[in-house]
Amino acid sequence: MNCPLLAEDTTDVLLDYSAGRLDAKRTAMLETHMLSCVRCAAFRAEQTEVWAALELWEPEPVSMGFNRSLWQKIEESASASWYRKLVDALRFGAWKPVFPLAAAVFVVAAGFVFDHQGTGTPAPGILNGSGVSMNEVDQVEKTLDDLQLLRQFDAVSAGVTSGQTDSVPM
Amino acid sequence: MWQRVNNVVGAATSPDLDAQLMLRVRDGDEESFRVLLDKHRNSLVHFVYRMVQDQPVSEELAQEVFLRIYKTRASYEPTAKFTTWMFRIATHLALNWLRDEKNARSEARLDEDRGGDLPAREVPDRKPTVEQRMVYNARLQEIRDAIAQLPEKQRAAVLMHKYEEMEYSQIAAVLECSESAVKSLLFRAYETLRSRLAHMVTGAPMISGSGVSGAKR
Repeated sequence: MNCPLLAEDTTDVLLDYSAGRLDAKRTAMLETHMLSCVRCAAFRAEQTEVWAALELWEPEPVSMGFNRSLWQKIEESASASWYRKLVDALRFGAWKPVFPLAAAVFVVAAGFVFDHQGTGTPAPGILNGSGVSMNEVDQVEKTLDDLQLLRQFDAVSAGVTSGQTDSVPM
Repeated sequence: MWQRVNNVVGAATSPDLDAQLMLRVRDGDEESFRVLLDKHRNSLVHFVYRMVQDQPVSEELAQEVFLRIYKTRASYEPTAKFTTWMFRIATHLALNWLRDEKNARSEARLDEDRGGDLPAREVPDRKPTVEQRMVYNARLQEIRDAIAQLPEKQRAAVLMHKYEEMEYSQIAAVLECSESAVKSLLFRAYETLRSRLAHMVTGAPMISGSGVSGAKR
C-alpha cells in the first residue's frame, strides 16, 4: 500500500479510518502500513483525538416552537403582498444579485439615452430635420457671396483689359 | 391522519424516500412535508448552528431553508439527493449570513451567547462540580473557536463530514466542487484542528473531576 500521506486527496483513507468508516479490507491494509509508517501512525493518533474532541460539541435542542413558527411563516408567505415578498427576498442576502443586474440595466439605459439624444429636440444652431447647423449655412452663404464678388471683380478686370484692346460691354 | 403519517414514516427507510416524499409535497401533500420536516429538522438546525454559532439565528435560517423548499415545491425535480439540495440551501444561507453579519451588533450578541447559551451537559450518574463544568465550558469554547476560525468552506466541509456523516461525493455536491477538492479541504481543515485541539483529549478526560489540567486556555 502506498502511503496515504503522499498526496492530500488520498488522506481520506486515514480520515475514514479515524471515523470508523473504512471497510475491513482497507482497514487491514492501512493497519499493516502503519506498523512501518511513523507519519501515518502519528496522523491516526492525532486525528482520533481531534475526532473525540469534536464529539464534545453537542448543540442545543431545537426549540419547541420551531414547527409552529415555520408554518406561520409559510402561511404569511402564501398570503403576503408583492411588497412583503420583495422585502423577504431582500433578507438573507438574496438581494446580492440585484447589484450587477442594476448596474447592467443602468448601462443599457444610459446607452439608450445617449443613442436617442440626437432624435429629440434639436440643439440650438441646428436646423430642424436637416442636420445642418446654422454656422454651416452662414459659411456657405458667405463663400457664395465671396465667389460672386470675385466673379464681378474678374469681369471688371476683364473689361478694363478688353477696353484697352477691344471694347466689350459688361 | 396519524396513521397516514406513520405509513409515510414507515416507508422512510428506503434510500430515496426523501425524494419520493418531496414529489408528494409537489403534488400538494402537506403531510409529507411534515414528515420531511420532522426527519431533518434537528440535523439541519444543528448544522446551521455549528456554522453560525448562534442558536436563534440558526433556527431562523433553518426555517428559511424549509420555507424555500416548500415555496419551490411546484418545480421540484429529484435530480439530486434531497439532503444534498437541503444542505446546499442551508450552506448558502449560513455563508451569506456569516458574510453579512460581521458587524458590531452580531459580535456583541455572540459574546453574550458564549457566556449564556452553552448547553448544560449532564454527567449521567453524578452531578458535575463547578470546577468540572468550568473545564467543560473552557474546552467547548476552544472547540467552537477552532471551528469558527476555519475558512468558511473548510468549516462547512468538516461539519458535514463529522456531524452529518456525509460521503465525499455528497459534500462535493453541496459545496459545488470536486471530490478531490473536498478531500483537500478536509485535509487542511483537520490539520488545523489537530494543531489546535489534539491536546484536549490527551491532556485530560472530559468531565472527570481532575481539574482543568487539559485546558490550555
